[in-house]
Amino acid sequence: MNESPQHGLGGLRTLLPYMKAHRGRLALAFGLVIGVAFIEMAQPYLVKVAIDRYIAVPAPHAAAVLWMAAAYLGMTLLALCLTYGQEILLQYTGLHTVRAIRSDLFRHLQGLSLGFFDRNSAGRLITNVVNDTEALNNFFSQFLSITLRGLLSLLLIMFFMLRLDVTAALYCFILVPVIGAVSLYFRVRLRRIYNEIRNRLSASIAFLAENLSGMAIIQIFHQEAKQQRRFDERNTALRDATISENRTNLLLTSITELLGDAGVAALIWFGGRAVIRGTITFGVLYAFVGYIRRFFQPINSITQQLNVLQTTIIATERISRTMRVEPEIVELPGALAPPIRGEIRFDNVSLAYQPGHRVLSDIRLTIRPGEKVGFVGASGAGKSSLLNLAARFYDATGGTVRIDGQDVREWPLEALRRTVGIVQQDVALFSGTIIDNIRFFRPEIPEERVRDACRLVGAEPFILRLPKGYDTPLSERGSTLSAGERQLLSFARVLVFDPRIIILDEATASLDTRTEAVLQEAIHRVSRGRTLLVIAHRLSTIQDMDTIIVLDQGRIVEQGTHTALLQLRGHYWRLHRSGILLEEAAGSDSAGLPAHIHNAGGSGAVQAVGITPA
Amino acid sequence: MSGWGIVRAYIARNRAAYLVGISLTTLASLLAVLIPWLIGSFSDRFGGGSLTFRDTAQFAAAILLISSLRVTVWWFGRMMVHRKGRILTYQLRRDLFLKWGTLSPAYYHGQSIGDLLSHALSDVEVVRELVTMGINVAASGLSMLAAVIYMMSVHGDWRLSLAGLGPMLAIPLLVCCLGPRLRAYSLRCQEALGSMAQTVEEVFGGIRAVKAFGTEQVVIGRFEGKVDDIVAERMTFIRLSSFFEALIPLLANLGFIIVLGYGGWLTITKGITLGGFVASTMYVALLRGPLEHLGKVLNLIQRGAASLDRIARLLTVAATVRDREAGALLDQPLRGHVRVNRLSFRYPGTERDVLAGISFTVAPGKTLGIIGPMGSGKTTLADLLLRLYDPPEGTVLLDGEDILRYPLARVRQGVAYVPQDGFLFSTSLLENIAFADDQPDRERAGQAARVAALHDTIEQFPDGFATEGGERGVRLSGGQKQRVALARMIYKDAVVQILDDSLSAVDTTTEREILKSLGARGIGGNVASGPAARTTIIISHRLSAVQYADEILVLDAGRVVERGSHAGLIAANGHYAGLWFMQSGITAEELKSGEPDLADDMAAMVTGLTNGVESLDAGMNEETAA
Repeated sequence: MNESPQHGLGGLRTLLPYMKAHRGRLALAFGLVIGVAFIEMAQPYLVKVAIDRYIAVPAPHAAAVLWMAAAYLGMTLLALCLTYGQEILLQYTGLHTVRAIRSDLFRHLQGLSLGFFDRNSAGRLITNVVNDTEALNNFFSQFLSITLRGLLSLLLIMFFMLRLDVTAALYCFILVPVIGAVSLYFRVRLRRIYNEIRNRLSASIAFLAENLSGMAIIQIFHQEAKQQRRFDERNTALRDATISENRTNLLLTSITELLGDAGVAALIWFGGRAVIRGTITFGVLYAFVGYIRRFFQPINSITQQLNVLQTTIIATERISRTMRVEPEIVELPGALAPPIRGEIRFDNVSLAYQPGHRVLSDIRLTIRPGEKVGFVGASGAGKSSLLNLAARFYDATGGTVRIDGQDVREWPLEALRRTVGIVQQDVALFSGTIIDNIRFFRPEIPEERVRDACRLVGAEPFILRLPKGYDTPLSERGSTLSAGERQLLSFARVLVFDPRIIILDEATASLDTRTEAVLQEAIHRVSRGRTLLVIAHRLSTIQDMDTIIVLDQGRIVEQGTHTALLQLRGHYWRLHRSGILLEEAAGSDSAGLPAHIHNAGGSGAVQAVGITPA
Repeated sequence: MSGWGIVRAYIARNRAAYLVGISLTTLASLLAVLIPWLIGSFSDRFGGGSLTFRDTAQFAAAILLISSLRVTVWWFGRMMVHRKGRILTYQLRRDLFLKWGTLSPAYYHGQSIGDLLSHALSDVEVVRELVTMGINVAASGLSMLAAVIYMMSVHGDWRLSLAGLGPMLAIPLLVCCLGPRLRAYSLRCQEALGSMAQTVEEVFGGIRAVKAFGTEQVVIGRFEGKVDDIVAERMTFIRLSSFFEALIPLLANLGFIIVLGYGGWLTITKGITLGGFVASTMYVALLRGPLEHLGKVLNLIQRGAASLDRIARLLTVAATVRDREAGALLDQPLRGHVRVNRLSFRYPGTERDVLAGISFTVAPGKTLGIIGPMGSGKTTLADLLLRLYDPPEGTVLLDGEDILRYPLARVRQGVAYVPQDGFLFSTSLLENIAFADDQPDRERAGQAARVAALHDTIEQFPDGFATEGGERGVRLSGGQKQRVALARMIYKDAVVQILDDSLSAVDTTTEREILKSLGARGIGGNVASGPAARTTIIISHRLSAVQYADEILVLDAGRVVERGSHAGLIAANGHYAGLWFMQSGITAEELKSGEPDLADDMAAMVTGLTNGVESLDAGMNEETAA
C-alpha cells in the first residue's frame, strides 16, 4: 500500500488522455448530477416555504400547497430520469475508459520480449491486467459518481442553509469538520480491520483448500485432531476480527446518529428561542432540522471512497510503470525472410541475461539443413539458452545467429517463428477445443492439415477416443489429459505450422516409457527433411543424432557422434556415467550397490547396460 | 437435521442472548420514533403560541437524552445479535471441518474442492446474514413500522398515515423482485471478469508458446473479445441497477409528496395540527432505511434456504469408512504381516473391476515390488491397504486378521505411506517431516531426512528446516517434494511402509541410495526405536525402484500378469523383461555381450556418481531459484 506515495494524485494524470475522448459525456453527467442533488436537497426548503407561506399564516392557502406537491412530484420524476441518465453516462465512460486501458496494456505486454516475462512473475502481470484495471473501474463506478454527488449535495445543503439564514448556517457548518474528522478516524480504523479480516480469511481459505486436497495424508497419518486444532486457531482469529469489525461499524453509526440528534437538539434550543423572538420563522427552523441530518450521508460516503482513491492511485502507477517498459526485441522495419533451407549458424555468440553473468560464450557452430543435432550438458550448461537464440527469444549479447545466411535480427519475427518450431517441456494449452489448440486459434488453418499433423505424431488415436474427437473442449487447460497426451498435442501444434527447423527442449523429460516410445517414433518420422535440434537426457533419444554437442558452463566442450564421444572419455563420457544423461538406463544403477542387492538384481545383466555404444 | 433445523437449534441454544438482543433493538426503534414526536409536540406548542424559552431547553434536553439512550441500547442490541451471528459462522465452519476429517477419499472423488470451499465460505456467510439481518429487521424494521403507523394515526390522521406509507410499502416489494435479477446480472459480470482473468492467466502462463508461434495478434483478439464481453455484461447490469437506484428514492419521495400535499391540506383545513404535519414528514424519512432492509431479507430467505440445505446435506453425509463396533482388535501390536487374498475391487458406483483376484503375502521385513502402467490398479491397492476404501471382507489381512476388524486408528498407526505427488503442507519442512507428531522432534526429523537423501539439501536453504514448504513456501523441485514426503513416512516409522511411485521425480542414482538406506535402516537403526523389521511395498512404473524387491508383481488392468524376482522375470522374457529393455534403452543382444573393460571403471564410476548427484541437486536449486 505504500508504493510510491510521492506520486499521489498526480499519478491519475495517466487517465486524462483516456477520459478526454469522453469529455462531452462527463460534462453532461456533471450537469445531471447537479440537477439530481438540487431536487433531493430542495425537500426541506419546500416544506419551509409551505409552512411559512401557506400553512402557519393567518390566511392559509390550501390549493397552493397542493400545487407545490404536484410541482415537486414533477421534479421527482425528472430526478428519476436525471439519476438514471447520469449513472449510465458515468458508468459508460468508466467502462470504455477501462476497456481502452486494458486493451492497450495487454497489447503492450504482448509486444514485450521473453526477458521481461522472465523478470516478472506471471502472477504479477495477471494482477496488473485484471485487478489493477478493475480498480480503475471502481474509480469510475464508485469514486467518481459517489464523491461527485456527495460533494454537490454538501454544497447545495450549504447553499440552501445560507439562503435561509446566514448566522444559523454558519453555526451549523461547525459540524462539517467534526463529522469529517470522526468519519475519517473510523474509516482508517475500519480499513485496518478489513485488511486484517482479509488476511485472516485468506489464511483460513488457504488452510482449508490445502487440507481438503491433503485429506488422505491427514487420515493416513491420523492427524485429524491436530489439523482440527490448527483450523480452529485460524477460524477463531477470523471470528474475532469480524466481531471487531461489527463493533467498530456499529460504533460509527451510533456516533453519527448521536451527533445528528445533538445537532437537532441544539437547533431546537437556540433556533426555538430565535423563533420565539421572531428573528427566524418556524419554517426556517424546520428546514434547518432537515438539513442538519442530511450533512452526514455525503460526508460519510466521501470518506468511504478515500480507500478507492488510494487503490486507484496505486493501480494507475503500477499500470503506467508497465506501460513504460520498452520491448527489447524489435522487428527491423521492412525485414524480409530469405529463402528457407534450415541452416543455422552461430558466429562467436555470447549471451548474458544480466551484465557480467555470461551463460554462453564463444559459441561457433554450423548446423546444416536436415541435420539432427543433440545437445547435452548438466543443468545450467546453457543448452536452452543456446536454442532460445535461434528463435530470437533473446538477442545475443555478442556475435550473430544466422538462419539461412541471414542474421535473425533482420528476419521478420513472425516468419522466423514459423521457420523455427519449438516443442517445450511445459505444454501450454488454452481453453478451447483440441483442434483450436493445435492450430492456435487460427481458423484459416484447414482442419485437414491439423489431422495430418496429429496422424504424423501419433496423437490421432487418443484424440478420437475423446467424447467429441477434435472438437472436445479442454477443461482447465487440458488437466484431464496425461502429460504424454499433452506433449503429443504440442508436438502436433508445431507441425501444423510446418517449420523447417524443429527444436525439442526437454520435450520427453516428463513422459512415461510407453508415451516416450510413441513420441520417439514421431520424432523419427517428423525429422525427415527438417533440421532437428534436441535437448534431452535420455540416451535413447540422444544416441540417434548425427552430431551431439556437449555444453559445459556455456561453452561447447565436445562435439561428435555418440560412439566417438564415448571413446574420448571426456565430458560426455562422464555425464554418461554419472546418471545425468541416462536417466532410465540401468548401467549407472549397478555402481556402488551393496553386494547382496547387486547379486539379487542379476549383476551380469546390469553391468553391461548403458556403456554399450550403439 | 434440516437446514432450518440447524438455525432453530442454534437460536434455541442462544435464546437468552437473542431475546435480550431483540428486546434492546425493539426498544431502540421505539425510542427513535419518539424524536419526531417530540419535534411535533414542539411545533404544536409553537403553533398554539405557548412556546417558552424554558420549553426549548427542555425539548433539546429530552431529544439529547432519548437519543443517547437509543444509541446505547441500539449498539448493545445489535452487537449481541451480530456477535452471535459471527459465532454461528465459526461453529458451522468448525463442524464442517470436523465432518470433512471423517470422510474418506471416496467422498472427495465426487466433489470439487472449490465447491466445498464455497460452502464453507459463502454459504455459511449467507446463513449468518440471514439470521442476523432477519432478526434485526424483524426487531427494528417491523417494530418501527408499527410504531410509525400508530404515531401517525394518533398524532396526525390515520388516512394520512395510510396514504403516506402506501407507496413506501412498495420498497420492500421492489427490492425483493428486482434483487434476484440484479444478483444474476452481477454474477454474470463476475463470470465475464473471471473469464478474462482466465484468458490472461493462460496467456502469461504459456507466453513462451505464444511467442514461439508468433501468435500475439491471435491472443490479443481473444483478450479483447473477453474485455468486450465484460463491457456488455456490465452495461446490462448497470441499466437495471441504475433504474433500481433511481426508483427507491422516487418511492420514498412519493411518500413525502403525499404527506406534503395531503398533510398540508389537512393542516390548513384543521384536520391535523402543525406538529402532526411536521412529525409526519419526519416519520416518512425514518422508514426508508428499514423498508429497504426488509426487502433484502425477503431476498435472503430464498438464497439462505438453498445455502442452509447445502450445509445441512454436508453435515449429514455419513462416513463410508469407519470403525466397526463388534470385535474390534484394539491392542494387538502389529508385526507387519500383510496378506491379500483374492482381492477384487471396484469403486463404489462404478461398473469396472479395478482389481481382479489379486493375492500375495509379504512377511515382516520383506519387500514387495508392484509394477504396472497407469491405470493398472497400483494406487487402488495402496488405498485398500491403508483402508482409505473398505476392501471386501476377508481379502486384506494384517497379521492374519481382516483389516476391517481393526480400528482405523490402529491401521493408520501401523501403516505409513508416501504418495506420488509429494503433497506437502504450507508449514515448515520440519513440521512437514514430523507430521505424524504433535510436537516435532528435530533430531528424529534430521535422521529421517538423512535417510531420504534430503538432509544436505535442506541445510543449504537459508532457513534450513524452518523453510516453509507447500504452495506458498520455497519452490521445491518435484524430486525434493517427493523426498520430503518420504522423510515424513520414515519419521512416522510404522511397521508397514508403502511407497506409491514415490521416487518418480528423483534421479535413479539418488533413488538407489535412498532405497539402500531405507533397507539398511531396519538393521542399522538410523532412526532410533524403530521396529526391527519393516514390511515394504514399493509401487512404481519405473523398474529401477522395484528391482531389488523380494518379490515383484506385474499388474496390468487390475490383474497380476507376472510375478517373481527381478532375475527370474528377466529370464522369463515376458512383460517385465520387455519393459526392462525399453527403459534401459538396450536390446537383449546387447545385454548378452557386455563390455569387457567394465570392472576397471568401477572406482571412477563411484566418484562420478557423487559428483553427478551434487551437480544435479545444484541444477535443481538453480531451477528453483529461477
